[in-house]
Amino acid sequence: MIKIIRAEWLKLRTTAVPWVLGGIAMLINGLLILVIFLNHGSNGGGPFGGNGNDNGPTIVLGPNYPHTVQQLRNLVGSGFTGYLLALLLGVLIVTTEFRHKTVTTAFLITPVRPVMVGGKLLMAAIAGAGLAIIMFATSMIGGGLTLVGVGGSYSSLLDQVPAVLPGMVLVFILFGMLGVGIGSVLTNQVAAIVVTLGWFIILEGILVSLVHGAARWVPTGAAQAAANINRSRSGISSLLFNWWEGSLLIVAYGLLFAALGSYILTRRDIT
Amino acid sequence: MPSAIEVQSLTKHFGNVHAVEDLSFSVETGRVTGFLGPNGSGKTTTLRMLLGLVKITSGTATFGGKRYQELDKPDHHVGAVLEATSFHPTRRAEDHLKMVAIGSGIPLSRVDATLELVGLSDVARRRVGKFSLGMRQRLQLATALLGDPEILILDEPANGLDPQGIQWLRTFIRYQASIGRSVLVSSHLLSEMEETVDDVVIVSEGHLVLQTTLAELAGRAGTSSGMRVRSPEIDRLTAILQTIPVGFRPLSPDIIAIDGATPEWLGPVLAQNQIVVYELVHERGSLEDVFLQLTQGFAAGHPGAPDGGGAVAGQAPPSAGLTPMPGSRA
Repeated sequence: MIKIIRAEWLKLRTTAVPWVLGGIAMLINGLLILVIFLNHGSNGGGPFGGNGNDNGPTIVLGPNYPHTVQQLRNLVGSGFTGYLLALLLGVLIVTTEFRHKTVTTAFLITPVRPVMVGGKLLMAAIAGAGLAIIMFATSMIGGGLTLVGVGGSYSSLLDQVPAVLPGMVLVFILFGMLGVGIGSVLTNQVAAIVVTLGWFIILEGILVSLVHGAARWVPTGAAQAAANINRSRSGISSLLFNWWEGSLLIVAYGLLFAALGSYILTRRDIT
Repeated sequence: MPSAIEVQSLTKHFGNVHAVEDLSFSVETGRVTGFLGPNGSGKTTTLRMLLGLVKITSGTATFGGKRYQELDKPDHHVGAVLEATSFHPTRRAEDHLKMVAIGSGIPLSRVDATLELVGLSDVARRRVGKFSLGMRQRLQLATALLGDPEILILDEPANGLDPQGIQWLRTFIRYQASIGRSVLVSSHLLSEMEETVDDVVIVSEGHLVLQTTLAELAGRAGTSSGMRVRSPEIDRLTAILQTIPVGFRPLSPDIIAIDGATPEWLGPVLAQNQIVVYELVHERGSLEDVFLQLTQGFAAGHPGAPDGGGAVAGQAPPSAGLTPMPGSRA
C-alpha cells in the first residue's frame, strides 16, 4: 500500500491540481479573515453568532474584534470552508485518471481494483489533512496577527485551537475520502464536479431551508458539528449534532460512497 | 515449452453486441505472434480482457495458467502498450515512468535505462502533452518494458508512426523476440507486420479465422491466382479457351484474365495454337490479398453477417485466388 500511496503522491504533485487548489484555499481564507475583522469593525458584534450558544442573530456589544469563545473558534477555523476544496481534490484524484485515460496504466499496475481505490482514499485523506493544516496555519498567522494588531489576545485564540483543529482536520480528511467515493461513482470529471458543487453550494441550502430538520443530516451540517464551527446566521446551529455524532455521520457518508465507488469501479470495463 | 499466453473459448458481450465469440488461440514462448483482423474485429477487447481491464463474459485468458490479476507483480511478467493517449499531458515523461516504477516496486534506475532503450533520453524532462504521436508510442513501449517482462502485448503499436518509426518498431520487436521475450502484437494491416511476426492469429467479427505460422500463410499467397494475356488475337484465343474447362474474363478489347492458369500450362497452349502475345503476366496473390480474402470471406460467410452463409470458425472459406485451376491441366 505504501508504494501505491507514493505513486499516487507523485501523480498528484506532477499535475497542477493540488497547487491551484491550495492557492485558491489560502486566498479564500485570507478574504474570510478580512471579512471577519471588517464585520467586527462595522457593528461591534459578529456575523457568526455571539456567544457560542447561538439561537439567532445576536449583537453583542464589546470590543470590535473577535473575543467570545465562538468568535475565536470561528477565527481559528476561518479556513474551514476549505473542506469543499478537499472534497474537490478527492473527486479530481479519481476523475483525472479517467479524463486522461491514465486509469488504464493505473489498473495495469494495480489490477486488484479495490486496492487501488484504497490507495486513492488514503491519498485523499493525507492531502485533506495537509490542506486543513495549511488553512489552519493561514488563520493562525494571518488572523492571529490581525487580532493582535487590533488589540486582541493571541493566547485567547490559542486556547480555542484544541476545540477546532482536530475536528477540522478530521472533516478535511473525511471530505477528501468522500470525494474519492463520489469520483469513483461519477467518473466523468465535468459531471462529478458539477454534481458535487451543485449539491454543496446550491441543493443542500435549498433542502435545509425547506426542511430544517435535514440540517444535522446533510454533510455540511455534520462537518460543522464535527469541527465546532458555527457558520449559521439563522439559528440552525442548534439543530446540529454534537461533534462526535457529526464525525460519525461524515465517516458513514465517506464509507458509503467509497464502498459504492469501489463496487462500481470493480465491475467497470476499461475500454 | 508451455504457451506464454493461452486464450480459451473467450467471449465478450457488451449488451447485444457480441464483440468476441468463443475465441481460442495461444502465443508460444519466444515468438512474435501477429494478432490480425480488420478494425472492429475484437482485437482490442481481447487484449483488454487478457489484461483484466475488460470483464470476461465467459472463457479464460491466462499467462502461464494465471489470470493477469492473479500474477504476483504483474508488470514484471507482462508489459502492455494499449493506446497512445493514456498520459497526463502536464506530466514529464520521466515522472510518468517514475510513477509506474514506484507503484510497481521497480528500481528507479530502470527509468533512465528504458528511456535510453526507446531513444527518449533527450526529452525525458519534457511534458508529454508536447510529444508527437511517435514519441508517445515510444514512451508507451518504455512503460511496458520498465518491469523487464517476459511477455509483451502491443495493441496497434504502428498506428500513427511514420515509415522510419515503423522500421524502428520492427527492429525493436524482432530484438525483443531475439532475447527470448514472447510478443503478441495486434494490427489491422498484415503488410505492416509481415516482416516482424513468426505466427499469425487472424480474427474477424470476434471469431477466430485462422491460427498458423507466417510461413504457411506465405505458402498460400504463393499459390497461382491466374495469368493475364495481352494479344492482338484475343478473339481466336477466346474461342480456343471456350473449348477447355477454364474460367476467363475479358479485361479490355485486347486483354483477358485466365483464372488459376500457370505459365507452364498456358505457354504450351499459346505455342500450340501459334497465338501472338504482346504481354504475359503471372498474377500471384500477395500476403495481404490472402489476409483480405480470409477476413472478408469470413465476414461474408459468417452466420452473424447479413447474408448469413454459415462458415465454421477456424476454416477459411474457399476464395477465388486460392481455387485450384479447373481440370488440373497445368
